[in-house]
Amino acid sequence: MSELLLRLEGLVHTLPQRPETAIVLTLAAYFAGLRLFSWLRSPAWCPPILLAACLLAGLLALLPLDYIEYRRGVGWLTWLLGPATVALGVPLYQQVHHIRTLWKPIVLTLPPAAMLAAGYAMGIAWLLDATPTVLASLAPKSVTAPIAMGIVEELRGSVSLLMGALLITGVMATLSITLLARWGNIHDQRVIGFALGINGHAIGTVRAFDIGPTAGAFASLGMSLTGVFTALWLPLMWHFVG
Amino acid sequence: MLSILRGFLILTAFLMLGDIAVELFALPLSSGVAGMLLLTLWLLLRRRLSHDLGAASQPLIGMLALLIMPGVVGIFFQADEFSGQWLTIFIALILGTLLSSLTTLWLMQRLVATLRERPHE
Repeated sequence: MSELLLRLEGLVHTLPQRPETAIVLTLAAYFAGLRLFSWLRSPAWCPPILLAACLLAGLLALLPLDYIEYRRGVGWLTWLLGPATVALGVPLYQQVHHIRTLWKPIVLTLPPAAMLAAGYAMGIAWLLDATPTVLASLAPKSVTAPIAMGIVEELRGSVSLLMGALLITGVMATLSITLLARWGNIHDQRVIGFALGINGHAIGTVRAFDIGPTAGAFASLGMSLTGVFTALWLPLMWHFVG
Repeated sequence: MLSILRGFLILTAFLMLGDIAVELFALPLSSGVAGMLLLTLWLLLRRRLSHDLGAASQPLIGMLALLIMPGVVGIFFQADEFSGQWLTIFIALILGTLLSSLTTLWLMQRLVATLRERPHE
């Protein structure tokens, strides 16, 4: 009996370090978030990803598992972000005929829109006396996570603040674009999708695929172009100004 | 099921090509994005989308939100570092995103509308 207790104690130490623990917690929180979302009758102001992230944070806080350990364990799952980013090339290719006919508005909208997506937030934060670390962490807030992490490291910001900023930005962009489009009577899936991708990165793109495949393709396009463009101009600008 | 696996092989191979391109040319991109651009280019040259690639990419794209969740929750555990700046951060993010969403929608809508009025330009 005492031996069993001893093994149980050992389990408390080894189990949190296992990848399966981290993956079970993540998937469970994800599906619970989806459940909760439909139970709340799909509120537009609170997407399932926000609910799921809060549930996951709650689980991690309650269990004897620290965040660093969790990150190491869940690496197997987050690695899939790589092939998933590559996979965005498929809807991009499928919608290429749309993109060909609209290349002019796309080329003209992208640079100012991507620069303002970073610029407005940085300007407001700067006016409110934010520290350089905070400014650097907020700068790539509209860029898809894998690229944004690279940018923030180059600007010496905080990766975790950036991830929080990505969540808030994605949720806020999804909400404001949905409402503004309804309010401004915009029904063009291409316009809504492109705006969702530029401002709301992966979270906006997920929402765009809910609207329809055309919106989804334009969101993937907006997201990838914003990522590539921001990765090029932001570090240059940062070193020039700083 | 094998079809998904074959598609996954293609995606991962393009991720590797992305890795190689980023390292070799010191690109300021993540290997995922480099891989995505290479895949798009390859599909454009081939002008045909294989069933395998479609079968693997669709579920992965649907999972994007799940895949960024582990990184996102990090903010809850490093909150102390930015105490005193939270209000600034929230105002900047919420107002900034609202303004940029408005600008993008307005700009794109206007440009698409001009294109519709003069379709043969």
